[in-house]
Amino acid sequence: MAEDVKPTRKELMQIEERIELSERGHDTLEQKRDGLIMEFMDILDEAQDVRSDLDEKYEEAQNAINMARALDGDVAVRGAAAALKEHPELTTQSKSVMGVYIPQIDSTKVRKSLDERGYGVLGTSARIDEAASAYEELLEQIILAAEVETAMKKMLDEIETTKRRVNALEFKLLPELRANEEYIEQKLEEQEREEIFRMKKIKDKKEREEDEEAEAEREAEEAETVAADD
Amino acid sequence: MSTTDDYEDSNYEYVTARIRSRRSKLFDDDDYRKLVRMGTGEIARFMEESEYETEMNRLGSRYSGSDLVEYALNENLAGHFDDLLRWSNGRLYDYVARYLRKFDAWNIKTVLRGLYSDAPRDDVEADLIDAGEFSADLLDDLVDAGSVEEVVEALDRTIFGDALGAAVEDYEETGLLVPLENAVDRTFYEHLISGLPDEPDRATGLYIEFLEAEIDFRNLRNALRLARSGADMDPADYYIDGGRLFDADELRQLVANEDQLVERVRTSVYGDELDDALDVLADAESLIEFEHALDAALLEYADTLSNRYPLSVCPVLSFVLAKEREVDNVRAIARGREAGLSPEQIEAELVVL
Repeated sequence: MAEDVKPTRKELMQIEERIELSERGHDTLEQKRDGLIMEFMDILDEAQDVRSDLDEKYEEAQNAINMARALDGDVAVRGAAAALKEHPELTTQSKSVMGVYIPQIDSTKVRKSLDERGYGVLGTSARIDEAASAYEELLEQIILAAEVETAMKKMLDEIETTKRRVNALEFKLLPELRANEEYIEQKLEEQEREEIFRMKKIKDKKEREEDEEAEAEREAEEAETVAADD
Repeated sequence: MSTTDDYEDSNYEYVTARIRSRRSKLFDDDDYRKLVRMGTGEIARFMEESEYETEMNRLGSRYSGSDLVEYALNENLAGHFDDLLRWSNGRLYDYVARYLRKFDAWNIKTVLRGLYSDAPRDDVEADLIDAGEFSADLLDDLVDAGSVEEVVEALDRTIFGDALGAAVEDYEETGLLVPLENAVDRTFYEHLISGLPDEPDRATGLYIEFLEAEIDFRNLRNALRLARSGADMDPADYYIDGGRLFDADELRQLVANEDQLVERVRTSVYGDELDDALDVLADAESLIEFEHALDAALLEYADTLSNRYPLSVCPVLSFVLAKEREVDNVRAIARGREAGLSPEQIEAELVVL
C-alpha cells in the first residue's frame, strides 16, 4: 500500500488525521462491542429461562393433549379444536438497544375463557379444558421466546459486525495508516537528507569555485608582481 | 321395534339374555393387564383376535396405529348399540334410546364442527358414531348438508329440532358454535328424564335414579369447570334440569364458592359414593381425577343395578356403560402407549370394576 502513497507533507497530515479519527472510532466501537456483549449476556440469561420454561410448557401441553386424546378420543379433541373461531392476534413494534432494533411482540386473544373457546360446555370435559389451557400457555411462551430469541439473534449479529469493524480498524486500517505514515516520514526525512546533502555539495562547490577564483586572482597578482620586478 | 307405552310389549327376557352373551365378551382385568404392556401394533394384533376382528380387518386398509384402534372401537360400539335398539321393544326401547341419543348429539356436533372448520366430507363421515337413534339416511343428509342452517333444517323433525331452531339465531349473531352445541347437549339431557313414569316399579325407579345421577354429575362437573375457569358466565345458562342435587339458583350461588359446593355435595345423597373423590378434588388442582371418580361412581352404580334386577332395563344400561367404558379404556391404552406413557400411568387412568 505504501507504494501508492504520495510522500508529501500534505498526505502525511491527512494520514495523521485519519489515524486519529480511526483510533477514536476504534475506542468507541470497542466500548459499543463491550456494551452489546453485556446487554447480550442479560438477554441470554432471560432467553435460557424462557427456553427452559418453553420446554417445560411444551411437555405439559403434550401431556395434556395426549391425556385428552387418550381419554376423550382423538375425534372429540379434534372436534373441540375445530370449534375455535377467534385466532390470536400479534402486533410487533421495535425498540432500540444500543442502536440495535429488537422486536417487541404484543399478543391478544391467546388465553381464552371457557366461553371463548368455541366448544359447548355441556358436552365436553375438563380434560379438553386443560389441554386447551396448556396450549394457550404454550403459545404465550412461544411468543415470548420468539421475542427474546430474535432480540438475541439481532444482538449477536450486531456484536459480530462491531467485532469485525473493531478488528478491521485494529488489524488492518490502523496498521496500514501507520505504515503509510512511517513510509512518508521516512521518505520526507530522506528527501530532507538529500536536500541537505545537495546544499552541502552546492556550498562545497561554491566554496571551491571561490577558492579557485581567489587562487586565480592570487596567481594573477603574483604574475603581475613578477612582471613588474622584471 | 316399537315405541308404545305398553309395559307388556317390552321384551326384557330376550334382550337381557342376549346382553349376557355380549357382556361375557368384554375385556376383563387380565386383558387390560396385557394390553397396557403392549405397543400400538401389538394392541391392534390383540384386537384382531378378539371381538373387534371384523372392524379391525375392514378398517385396516384405511387407518393404522391408534387411529385404527379408535375407529374400530367406535364402529364396534355403534354395532352393539344398534343391535340393542333393534332388539328392544316397547318401553325398553324408549329407556335404551333416551340414553343412546347421546350419540345422536355427538353426531350433530361432529357435523356442525366439520362444517364450521371446512373439514372434508369423508373425514366428518368417518368421525360419526352410528350408535344412536338417527337413521343412516338422516346421517347421510347431515353429512351432505352444505351449511349449518341446512343441518338445522334436516333435524327439524327430531327432538333436537326446536332447540337448534332457537339457537341458530344466536349462532348467526355471534358466529360461534357454542349456542348450537349447548342446545344439542341440553336437549339430550332434558329428554333423558322427561316423560318417565311417575310411579315406576323398583327397577325402573333405580334406572331413573341413575339418569338423575348422570344429570347431577354433569351439572357438578360443569359447575366446577365454571368455578375454576374464572370466566364471566352465568352458571344457570349451563344448568340442566331434572337432577336431584341442585336447582339453577342454588347452583349459581355455589359456583361462586367452591368450598361450599363441595360441602353441599358431601352432605347430599351422593355423599358416600363421592366422599373419596371430593377429598381428591380438595387436594388436586386438576379436575380430571374428580371427573374420573364421577365416571367410576356411575359405572359402579350401574353395575349394582344389573345384579339386583336381572330382568329389567338395569342390565341393559349396565352393559351400555360397561361397553362404553371398555371403548374408553382400550382407546386410552392405545393412545397412551402411542404417546409413550408408562403402563403404571395408563393403569391410573383406566376405570375398571
